[in-house]
Amino acid sequence: MLRATAVSQSFGGERVLDDLSIEVDAGEVLGVIGPSGVGKTTLLRTLALSLEPDEGSVTLEGTDVWAAGEADRLALRRRVGMVFQEASLFDGSVGHNVEYGIRVRKPWSDRIAAAVGLAGPPDAVHESLDVVGMTDKVNQHADSLSGGEAQRVSFARALAYDPDVLLLDEPTSDLDPRNTAVIEEAIDEARNRGIGVVVATHDMHQAERVADRVAVLLDDGVTEVGPTDVIFDDPTDERTRKFISGELVY
Amino acid sequence: MPLEPVVPLLPEVLGGPTHHHLPLLLDLSFREGYVRSIIYVSLYVSLTAVALSTLFSVPVAILVGFSEFPGKQFVKSVVNTGMGFPSVVVGLLVLFAVSNQGPLGSLDLVFTREAMIMSQFVLATPPITAITLAAVSGVDDGVRDAARALGGTRLDVALVVLKEARYGIATAILAGFGRAVSEVGSVLIVGGNITGADGISKTRTLTTAIQLEARQGQYETAMVLGAVLVALVLTVNAVVVHFGDEGVAG
Ligand SMILES: Nc1ncnc2c1ncn2[C@@H]1O[C@H](COP(=O)(O)OP(=O)(O)OP(=O)(O)O)[C@@H](O)[C@H]1O
Ligand SMILES: [Mg+2]
Repeated sequence: MLRATAVSQSFGGERVLDDLSIEVDAGEVLGVIGPSGVGKTTLLRTLALSLEPDEGSVTLEGTDVWAAGEADRLALRRRVGMVFQEASLFDGSVGHNVEYGIRVRKPWSDRIAAAVGLAGPPDAVHESLDVVGMTDKVNQHADSLSGGEAQRVSFARALAYDPDVLLLDEPTSDLDPRNTAVIEEAIDEARNRGIGVVVATHDMHQAERVADRVAVLLDDGVTEVGPTDVIFDDPTDERTRKFISGELVY
Repeated sequence: MPLEPVVPLLPEVLGGPTHHHLPLLLDLSFREGYVRSIIYVSLYVSLTAVALSTLFSVPVAILVGFSEFPGKQFVKSVVNTGMGFPSVVVGLLVLFAVSNQGPLGSLDLVFTREAMIMSQFVLATPPITAITLAAVSGVDDGVRDAARALGGTRLDVALVVLKEARYGIATAILAGFGRAVSEVGSVLIVGGNITGADGISKTRTLTTAIQLEARQGQYETAMVLGAVLVALVLTVNAVVVHFGDEGVAG
C-alpha cells in the first residue's frame, strides 16, 4: 500500500538513506530495527510524506506522492499518521489533542462552530482514547499528564482520524512496562482495524513481539526484510545475524 | 499598589462632579472636556497604530520564524536595531515624508492624527515583530511537526504556533502599545501638539500635554495626566494578560 522505492536521502553531504526500498501493506505491522543514528527516523519521516527524498519515489496505493500537486499531496499525507519519539502534545486538553487531526480535516464553518461550542467532540475521540485506556482523562490538560500518559495520548491522536498507515517512531522508548504493554496492545488494535503500521524501535524484543515482518537497517541500507520469525531465527544475511545476536555492536 | 492614587481621581477627571476637598482637581473642573479629548486622541492614535502594526508584524514574524533564507540573520538584526531607534528621528522622517517636499505630501497629513499613527506604527513595529519572532521561534519544533503530521495545512500549523506563543505575542503587543502611548518625541514633531479654539485636543496626546503643562507650571494637571497615562498602560496590560489566560480557540 505505502511503498518507498530506491529512496536516498542526504543531510549536508552525508548520505543517511541509500537506495532503500520498503513497503507496508494494510493490516500488517512492519518493524524497523537498527542501531541509533542509522536513519530510522529519517525513513519514517520519508514514509510520512513529510520529507521529500533526494532520489527515488514514494507511492501510496500506486500514486507517486512527490509527483502529485500540492492539493493531492495534502490528501495523500492525510491518509498517513505519524507518532513521534517525543509526545509533543498541544497546549490544551487531552480531548483537544486527540480531536486535532479530525478538526483540521473539517471545513472551516464546522471548525468555527466547534470552537464556539456548537458541536461536541466526535465519537472517534472517545474510541481512540479507549484504545490506550485514557478515556477518563479526556478533559485533563496535556501539561499535567505523566510521560507515559502523554505518549499514549500522542498515539490516540494519530489513531483518531483513522489513517491508512500509522508510523510509530520509538513509541515506547521512555516507557515503563505497563505503558509499553498498553501501546503494544494499541498496535495490535490498529492492525485489526486494517491499518498498516510501521514501528521503528531499537528494542529487538519489541519488534519480535509486535511485528509481522521486520526490516533490519544497518549503516548502508536495509540488509534484510522478512517475516519476523525468519529474521530472528534464521536470517540469511550474515550481518543481520550478527546484529540480532548482539555480536555486531554499534 | 500603583493604581491606588489613580482610581479615585479618574471619575473626577472623566466627568464626575468636582469635590472641593480634592484641591488637586480644582482647576480641572472646567477642563474635563480638554482632558477627555486628550485621552481620546492618545488612545485613538496608539490603539490604531498598534492594531495596524500587529496585523503587519505577527504574520511577518511567523514567516521569518518559519522559513530559512539567506538574509534571515540580517532581517533579525534590522528589527532589533529598530527597537532602539530614536523616536524623534522617526518623527522627523515621517514629518518629511508627509511634508510638501515628501513622497506623501499630496495627502496633506502634516500635524494630523494620521501622521501620528504613521510614526507610532513605525515605532511599535520593531518591538512587536522582535518579541513575536522570539515567541514563535521558542515554540517546540515537535509541536509544529505534530500539527503537520496530523494533517495540518500550513495555515493550521501557523495557528497552532500562534496559540502556543500567545503569551509572548500578548507581551509583544503590550510592549508595542507601551512604546507608542508613552512616547513624546515623534508625536510632538508630526502632530504638533495642537488643540482647537474650543480647547479640545486635535493632536495633543497625554505625553505631549504633560510636557506642555509641566513647562507652563501646571503641575497638578500634568500629574493627573501622568496618572491617567499610568492607569491606561496598567489597564491595557491587565486586559492583555487576561485574554492570554483565557486562551484562543484553535
Ligand atoms: N534534519 C537533519 N539535518 C541534518 N542531519 C540529520 C537530519 N535528520 C537526521 N540527520 C542525521 O541523519 C542520521 C540519521 O538520523 P535518524 O534520526 O534518522 O537516526 P535514527 O535511526 O532514528 O536514530 P535513533 O535511534 O537515535 O533515533 C543522523 O546522523 C542524523 O544526525
Ligand atoms: Mg530516531
